[in-house]
Amino acid sequence: MFSRFFSRVGLLAAPFLAIIMAGCSKADMTVRQSTLDPKGPVAQVQFDVFMATVWLVVVLFVLVGGLLVYAVIKFRARPGDENEPAIVEDGHGNPLIEIGLITASIGSLVIIAIPTLNAIWYTDDVPAESVPTSKLSVWYPRVEGGRENYAKTVEEQVLEVDVIGKQWWFRFEYPQLGLTNDAKHSVPNEMVIPKGVAVRINLRSEDVIHSFWVPKLAGKVDLMPGRKNHMWLQASETGHYYGQCAEFCGDSHAYMLFRVEVVEPAEFAKWVQRQKAPAEPVAVGTKADKGKALFAAKSCVMCHNVGGHFGAGAFGPDLTHLASRKSLAGAWLDNRDPKAQLALEQKTGNTESSVEVDRATLKANLIKWIGSSGVAHGADGKTLTKDVKPGNRMHYYKMFNVAGLRETNQKFTAEELDDLAEYLLTLK
Amino acid sequence: MSHDSHHAPVACKTELAPERSDLGLIRPDRATGWIDWLTTVDHKKIGILYGAFAMFYFLVGGVEALAIRTQLARPDNDFVTARMYNQLFTMHGTTMIFLGVMPLSAAFFNFLVPLQIGARDVAFPRLNAFSLWTFVFGAFVLNASWFFEFAHLAGWFNSFDWHKALVYTDFAPANGWFSYAPLSGTFGQNGQALRFTGVGTDFWIIGIQVLGIASLAASFNFICTIINMRAKGMTMMRLPVFTWMTLVTAVLIILAFPAITVALIELMFDRTFGANFFNPSAGGQPVLWQHLFWIFGHPEVYILVLPAMGIVSEVLPTFSGKSLFGYPIIVFSGAVIGFLGFAVWSHHMFTTGLGPVPTAAFSLLTMAIAVPTGVKIFNWLGTIWGGRIRFTPPMVLALGFIWMFMCGGFSGVMHSAAPADSQQQDSYFVIAHFHYVLVGGVLLGLLSGLYFWFPKIFGRMPNAPLGYLGSALVILGFNLAFGPMHYLGLAGMPRRTHTYHAGNGWETWNMVSTYGAYMLGLGIVIIFGNLAWTAFRGKKCSNDPWDGRTLEWSLPSPVPEYNFAQAPVVATRDAFFEDKHGSKRIGSEPDGGEAGVHMPSQSWMPLVASAGFLFIGFGMPMMAMGIPHAGWMVIGGLGVLFLGIWLWALEGPGGYMLKTPVNRDAPVPTETAAH
Repeated sequence: MFSRFFSRVGLLAAPFLAIIMAGCSKADMTVRQSTLDPKGPVAQVQFDVFMATVWLVVVLFVLVGGLLVYAVIKFRARPGDENEPAIVEDGHGNPLIEIGLITASIGSLVIIAIPTLNAIWYTDDVPAESVPTSKLSVWYPRVEGGRENYAKTVEEQVLEVDVIGKQWWFRFEYPQLGLTNDAKHSVPNEMVIPKGVAVRINLRSEDVIHSFWVPKLAGKVDLMPGRKNHMWLQASETGHYYGQCAEFCGDSHAYMLFRVEVVEPAEFAKWVQRQKAPAEPVAVGTKADKGKALFAAKSCVMCHNVGGHFGAGAFGPDLTHLASRKSLAGAWLDNRDPKAQLALEQKTGNTESSVEVDRATLKANLIKWIGSSGVAHGADGKTLTKDVKPGNRMHYYKMFNVAGLRETNQKFTAEELDDLAEYLLTLK
Repeated sequence: MSHDSHHAPVACKTELAPERSDLGLIRPDRATGWIDWLTTVDHKKIGILYGAFAMFYFLVGGVEALAIRTQLARPDNDFVTARMYNQLFTMHGTTMIFLGVMPLSAAFFNFLVPLQIGARDVAFPRLNAFSLWTFVFGAFVLNASWFFEFAHLAGWFNSFDWHKALVYTDFAPANGWFSYAPLSGTFGQNGQALRFTGVGTDFWIIGIQVLGIASLAASFNFICTIINMRAKGMTMMRLPVFTWMTLVTAVLIILAFPAITVALIELMFDRTFGANFFNPSAGGQPVLWQHLFWIFGHPEVYILVLPAMGIVSEVLPTFSGKSLFGYPIIVFSGAVIGFLGFAVWSHHMFTTGLGPVPTAAFSLLTMAIAVPTGVKIFNWLGTIWGGRIRFTPPMVLALGFIWMFMCGGFSGVMHSAAPADSQQQDSYFVIAHFHYVLVGGVLLGLLSGLYFWFPKIFGRMPNAPLGYLGSALVILGFNLAFGPMHYLGLAGMPRRTHTYHAGNGWETWNMVSTYGAYMLGLGIVIIFGNLAWTAFRGKKCSNDPWDGRTLEWSLPSPVPEYNFAQAPVVATRDAFFEDKHGSKRIGSEPDGGEAGVHMPSQSWMPLVASAGFLFIGFGMPMMAMGIPHAGWMVIGGLGVLFLGIWLWALEGPGGYMLKTPVNRDAPVPTETAAH
């Protein structure tokens, strides 16, 4: 009976077909990091090549798989076979069939080779036809005070974003627009780009290999230390896109996420201006003011820059506009109200729509993040919380002259954490 | 003299007086029991030992896999810590490739190749034993890192005040099985040798290095054996396909392993002595590691898969009752795959910024390798076409192999299109792809081989219903575990991630995948249990229960230690099958037989020499940790290694004569020269 069961191999295909069909709903194809929902020309071209391979493979699967199922059913041993004489022959095969099949295989590969070659060159760098519409001078409006950092020649270039990978977060810099770490204006976790504009991405790493992957906009390219890699992308719709490091980079690789915020070009110009503005002063005597003092006292200032308040740190993320960002801790923690976000995604039917930062969520995240990783806090000064990001540098680092909170044995009471969070919440 | 008494024929080796060398060393020819197993040079016993160790490590790697799947079953899970997770997937990959599939393939090489070509043993029996024990000690060193990790987690090292430093808290390797530098290497200026990872990486480096020595020694041995020790009339184009694939695999190992050997030495020098091969801050090139690794690593994929293809090419004709369709082209395509396998390594590096020209070149070459692979599938289809298919457990698994390997090949074609690959690289789509090739392909092929040759190895037949049940669970569980990963990858889930947030749409299929993994695990436990029980207690069976085609089925089961009482002479491919069902195709060489068969003496020396690697394997990581005087342990290990090899050379060729049963009165078939 087992033999008969296995002779119906075709039956085995049924559950897999069912699984494939079940997986084909639109919602499943448009999840946050879906590669099947391209929102820009680079991702679109990559998706088209993928679909070419899919169709080829489906045809081959049906042909070869069908023959296999047919052969297995048709040529199964039948009762009485054992009385037949054995088939004794030389297995030389049939040259005509062999050559025919080899030729057909090569032919079917040519079908996918052509779009592949086209797409390899197209996705490599900003194509010539995109440059005229992507020059800074074309779309970057002349807002007051916005032009001091780039010269005429720069205006003729496409927008460039430097992506710097570190264990375990991404830093974004816009050298043409004066938003760099050296100028104390870098942007962690969330890259902002204008809609409909080709952006050249320069990929750099400061430690190990990382990989920049925002599936709806473009496939990944690695950030190799000691190497200058590049890619380009362009977003055809505004919205909030989700990305993630795709090359294993150590303890917290899974927690190294990032976001890409695509905005209208005019909006982008305003955003650039905002990034250059210093943090607002904190009123004396408030909780936030106490938090600001803690920021200096607990050595936060050693790594973090807060424009207008503190200017020493260049190792950690720039915090000048921390409270305006939708994510925290290498984008692992989401600063938006999860319920409101879910409701909005269901209402609009896409994951690119986003609610604004929720103050309460952000505050809870800040307390969780700073107070995690074995940093003692709480009323008794002993409460330990779980690592938000295992091995993260803020708590665990100890190298050269930089040391993390845990290594320097910093302790926070619950009140101190609250003060610190209140201070950070003022950094919009 | 003992030498003379050894060359008087005896009916049983235990009748021998112990042979002494000029130095007074005893060759343990008389030994029985565990000393016999430790000192054996018999290719069949070495094959069984390889198989037993491989199956053990399959279970170890399987437990690691289930821990991984348990962790990923739910979003934001904390079944294991992030570091433990990273160690688990690193050791899972390394274990399955180097300690599971490769030694299980080696088990088949060892047991079958001499039998299939009509030989007494392999060309260098003691070298064969050396390969086995070197593998065993290399595997031990690699897995010893787990012992230190658990000891550390249990707090055994807490009393040392150095325990907080990274190198002393990260004992099991956690770099992934391809250990990309500089994560596995160093940073900082010249000579600082600051490390991103702990001593686990050093265990990994030396463990893989030692395993490579084992593979290289075995490969030279098999190439010599296959080229030189074929029976009369067994021309290259009459070799059984499994032996052919063994030959191709051995050549691949010899050409591929030097690259990883060099890479590992460079990485070891970076970490231990402050060299700067891969240290970017001192001018090293991390991408160099990737090139060196993958020019080994891609042929390694074919090293894993070609033996399984060879097995399937034996199983399908047997149970279709038909000769292999297109034998020459199957052999030729195997060789072409091996050759092209060296020309596609950079398809693992499409996202490293190679530039468009190399990307295009490797993209096209990768597509090209699909052609010989497809040819094999067409010819297997041609083999069953028009046959009388008997659905025995090995045949069910072999058909499963074709089906699943074909799916893995299809996703491979998808990867070859570099722009599409930039979305798939390092995502779960890749995980799905290579598990379809390595589990759906290689593992099913190897399981098929186990069920197929088990009756020959032990003379006992595995229980068929359990075999069907196990196969069904493995095939269904495997598809349930890895099928959904195609979707997960396309939905943007990167590989090697300890956990993920809810809301990305990955929850359902991760859970399904975990259920599938447990089903697969259950199937493997049933199959291994069935086989282990069969080895000791199974029902006795005839010498040729499957109506086999190749020479090993002409021998008694289990095979006597001298293999062939008289050297066979064959007149055709599939000589045994045609001999049974048609005209005379097998004879034996007219060399008498009164004197018996000349057997190689057993030896302790391969084991002693290999034991040197144990000291080297523990000494090198300790040296990298900075433990004082650990370097002397390495030197001591080298001393043991050289002592073993020196005594090995001095113990002389040895050997003894074994009486065999009545000669088969078989004349040489007349058609030998005709083909």
